Order: sequence, then structure tokens, then C-alpha cells
Amino acid sequence: MASLTIDNVKKRYGQTEILKGIDISIEAGEFLILVGPSGCGKSTLMNSIAGLEDVSEGRILIGDNDVTYASPKDRDIAMVFQSYALYPNMTVAENISFGLEMRKVPKAEREAEVQRVADMLQIGHLLKRKPGQLSGGQRQRVAMGRALARRPKMYLFDEPLSNLDAKLRVEMRTEIKKLHQKLGTTIVYVTHDQIEAMTLADRIAVMKDGEVQQLGTPQEIYDNPTNLFVAGFMGSPAMNFIPAKVVEQNGSYALELQASKPTVVPFPKPESLKAYAGKEILLGLRPEMITEPQPHKEGKEFVVTADIDVEVTEPMGADTMVLTRISEAEVNCRCNPAYPAKADETIAMMFDTSKAVAFDKDSGKRIDN
Amino acid sequence: MNNNAAKAGSGATQAGRPARLSLADWMPKIVMAPTAVAAIVCIYGYMIWTAVLSFTNSRMLPTYNFVGLDQYERLFMNDRWLVALSNLGVFGGLFILTCLFLGVMLAIFLDQKIRAEGAIRTIYLYPMAISFIVTGTAWKWLLNPTNGIEKMMIELGFEDFRFNWLSDPDMVVYCLVIAAVWQASGFVMALFLAGLRGVDSEMIKAAQLDGASIFTTYRRIILPSLKPVFFSALVILSHIAIKSFDLVAALTNGGPGYSSDLPANFMYAHAFTRSQIGLGAASAMVMLGCVLAILIPYLYSELRGERHE
Repeated sequence: MASLTIDNVKKRYGQTEILKGIDISIEAGEFLILVGPSGCGKSTLMNSIAGLEDVSEGRILIGDNDVTYASPKDRDIAMVFQSYALYPNMTVAENISFGLEMRKVPKAEREAEVQRVADMLQIGHLLKRKPGQLSGGQRQRVAMGRALARRPKMYLFDEPLSNLDAKLRVEMRTEIKKLHQKLGTTIVYVTHDQIEAMTLADRIAVMKDGEVQQLGTPQEIYDNPTNLFVAGFMGSPAMNFIPAKVVEQNGSYALELQASKPTVVPFPKPESLKAYAGKEILLGLRPEMITEPQPHKEGKEFVVTADIDVEVTEPMGADTMVLTRISEAEVNCRCNPAYPAKADETIAMMFDTSKAVAFDKDSGKRIDN
Repeated sequence: MNNNAAKAGSGATQAGRPARLSLADWMPKIVMAPTAVAAIVCIYGYMIWTAVLSFTNSRMLPTYNFVGLDQYERLFMNDRWLVALSNLGVFGGLFILTCLFLGVMLAIFLDQKIRAEGAIRTIYLYPMAISFIVTGTAWKWLLNPTNGIEKMMIELGFEDFRFNWLSDPDMVVYCLVIAAVWQASGFVMALFLAGLRGVDSEMIKAAQLDGASIFTTYRRIILPSLKPVFFSALVILSHIAIKSFDLVAALTNGGPGYSSDLPANFMYAHAFTRSQIGLGAASAMVMLGCVLAILIPYLYSELRGERHE
């Protein structure tokens, strides 16, 4: 178990800068997730941590050891790959013990270790098979087993679930979380799936264009995104961004929206809007904050009920998503399925702006921080 | 309603349709027929004819005077045939092993993301485009002691340099190996290069993290995963070795004496120049047996593999 410190790491290929100065540090035993769209540099960063790619500048520390220039095998890390990368000519047992064999561990010890790992992952009955004879989920387990066998200081997971079907992915996600709780080892995990990031991580680093946009706990990132990109990337369906005009009201500031009729909603930190008085900003409001009128919320601060024009409804079972248009922007509302919202009708909705955030329209930065 | 219309429609065209349909049905068969007939007659027909002749005492012209296995008995009493067979063993073994080794090494070196890979690949592959006759002739000049490599080395000042394998009955078979390896190893390289390109790069990274050296990675992980390529290369090379005829004809013409004969040359000499058609046919059948011994397991595993998928 070891902490990980990434100190101003840059990576260039010729003139193109892939990583533009990454600073991340996590404690021993933490589960860090690197998340971001394709091409954001998350896999490059992962490969740099593993030592499979050199960095152009900066330092990488595992525990107190500077491993920036150490070869992959000397970093005491194990990696699970997207394609599983199992050795096709070896049996499952040989796959798991190969790393130990390379480190000259005696045969009896290797066998005991294979048995331990197989028991932990419930793959004991597969040990004599070749990877070609396994299903996707089984291969995934074997790939994890191979990583577990060496008891490294840190595990790296490179999009390990993206080759599995949806149902299996959810199962394996839980398995990985359980495994982390049981082992308590430091894990760095790359994914482009924000649900995986939310469910698994102790800390999430949201990346874009070779920069860390925000590093924080899943809840921090969900509730307090630092910019439009993070706000839009995390959460499904995504946060609504509603153009709103800052208006003065009783000596304070509030936001005016164009729902069915012009509506003024309060904002939790009105003083931060002062500089924007009379101008337009983007109001960030999660879909679950626009619901059918709920009696227990009635009359509370930051709660406003207003009519909206329903465009489409999407029943999802537990909730029904109601799509509407507010101030020319498409807006998702999360309603109780029993609420009689119908397409092309006008219906009342309750806006709860207690957790609303505001962004500058041009720069995309948070205003109210 | 829709259904009814369709029925009515098919009723209207019923008279014209079967004839048209059968013509369309027959067309591919008609087009394919000449090729099929040619293949059946010229390949399998003559194969059977050769098999029949090998049981007769035909000499200059085919006769049908059956003598049982006499020709095979004569064949394996014949010193020249035994020389040809042992030459095939030496030539085939060395040719296949050297080609595989060189081909694999070339492919591995070429796979290290080197510059001008395309040009180098073409250079190594080019010999395969040349006929064995040309290869044989070129190497005959190179290996000729009086005007080839030996002469060049002597002119360079190495007075004692001797490289006269071509005229040495014990060594001449190795000359065949040199020329054949030169021709075929580039092809093996191409096969393995394609295989190496198909290896999952994440697998190599995984091996690196597991602590395997480059040599171990190739020996334990990459090359074993290329087993099907080894198998294909082995089959292609061994049938080249068994049917080699033109290389010997051009490079040594079987000489000195008959010391560099291969079975194909033996067969040609007896069937067509020495009026021993029966004996030639018997030797041809033995060669066919060798080829089948390699091909049948290969085809079996290939076809079974397909069903497996």
C-alpha cells in the first residue's frame, strides 16, 4: 500500500502537449479515478504511472520513492488492461503465476498464491483452462487475479469494464468495489464512464485536453463542479444549463427564466451575482431539482413553482423524465411517474434552486465560488 | 389482401419462371464446368494414371502389364533413389529450420518500429517473386569456385580461401540449402511479421509489468501465441522442399554425378529421359505420399478449427 504523488507531470510528442502539467496526490489506500472524454490524456497519464511511457517533465512518486525514471517492473505495481491482455498460450494458473515466476518466487509459494487468488475471485475451477475457453467476465476475473497475485503496492485499472456487456459491467463494478474494501490497496482507475467514476471512487480527477479540470470526492464533483465541462460531464442525465438574466429584487439578486411565462427564481449566493446584474449567466440545475410540486417542500426557501410547456416525456420506470424548453435551452426534469405530464401541455413544476450553481456564459467558469 | 396479390402475381408468371430460374441456376455450373473438368482430368486423372502405371512394368511407353509392387521394390534397391531421399532429408530439414529461424529473426527485428521498414520488407520479400530457375542460375555463378565468391576472396588477397562446395559431392546439397533459404526466408518473415502485428500490444505491456525481459517476452509469450503461423510456414516450406526440382536443375543439375539429386529430379530423369516410366511413377507416388503425410493433418486441423469457431 502506498500513496501516489504526481507532481507537475508533462508529456509531449514533438510539438503536441498531451499532458499539460498534472498535479494529483492521493493517500495510501485511496481509490482514484481518472475520468474524461477520449483523447483527454487519461490513458497517457496511466501509462506514465505504470512506466510504460516516459514523461517529459515532472515527477511521479509512489510512497516516498521517486519512480519517474524507474522501469515498469521495479515500480511494484500491477495493471488490469482493457483487452485483459491474458497470455493466450498459458493456462489461467500460469497466467496468474507468471509475474511471480519472473520474480523468481519458488514453485510451492507460487502455487499457494495462485490458490489464494483463485479462492478470492472464485475462479478455482478455471485454473486449468486457457483464456480462449473463458467468457468475457471470466477473463476479467483472471486479469484481476494476475494483478492480485503479486501483492503490489498499487493497482492500475485501464478501462477494465468497457468490453463487458451492460449487466456484467454492473456486477463487476460491485466486485471491484468489494475487492478494494477488502484489500484496502491504492487503486488508480481510468474510465470514460462517469457512472463508474461516481460509484467506485474515493477521489475523481476529471480530465480534459491534458489538464485536470477538478480533483475531488464524487459528491464534491457532483455538487460543486468548478466549470461547465465538469458539470456537464458528471451526472446522467446531464445537468441543465439554463440561460438566465440576473435581476435585482428587494435589494438582492435573483435570476429570471423564460419558462411558460417569465419566472424569477432565487439563488443561494445572490451576492456573487452582483457583478453580472442585468446580464445573462448560465444557471446549472440538476434534473432532480425540477420536479412535480411536492407538498412537503412548499413554501421553503429557494423553492418556486412555475408552469412549463412539456415537449416530450420519457418514462424510465422509477422516474419519468420530462423534457421542456426554458429560455431557449432544453431542460430535463425528473418527475414522479404518477404526475400527469403530457407532451404539448402546460403543467406546473417545482424548481428547487438550493443546490443551483451559476456559470459565466463566455468562460464557462463558476461564478458563485 | 397483400397476400392475395402476391399469389395472383406468382400465378401469372408461373409459366415463364421455372425455365428462367433453371437457367440462372445452371449458369454458375456451366461457367465453372471447364475448370472443373480440367482439374479433374489433369490433376486427379493423371494422378490416378500415375498410380496405375507405378504397378506396371512400363518403360518408354505406358503399358498395362501389372507386376504388383515390383517397381517399388526396385526403387528402394536403387542407390540413386536412396541418395535422393537422404538429400531430401538433409535439404528439407536444414532448409525448413534455417528459413524459420531467419524468418522469425528478421520479422522480430523489422517489428521494432524501424525506419524505412516498407523498403526493407520489400527487399527481403523480393527473392520470393523470382523463379527458382533464376535463383539457381544466379547462385551457380556465385558458388562456382572458378568465377564466384572463392575467386573474389582470392583476388582480395585471401590466397588460401576455399569455397568449393558446388563441386564437392559431400557438400553440394548445402549449396541447395543456401540458395533455397535465400529465396524463401523473406516469405517466412512476411508471414511472421503479419502475425507479430496481430499481437495485442497490451499483452506486451502486461509482460513488461510482470517483469519479463524482452527475450523472455518473445520466448514465453509472443512466439507461442504465433503457433498457427509456425504451422502454416512449416507446411508451405515442407511442400516446397519435397517438390523442389527447378532449383536442382538450374544450380547443380543433380551433379557432381547424382550426388545432389532430389526425388523430383530422380522422377524426371527416370520417367522422361531414361525410359523407366514405371519406376518414375513409383517414385512420384512416394513423393505424393510425403506431401499428403504433411497436408492431411494440416487440412484436418484447419477444417476442424473452422468448425470449432
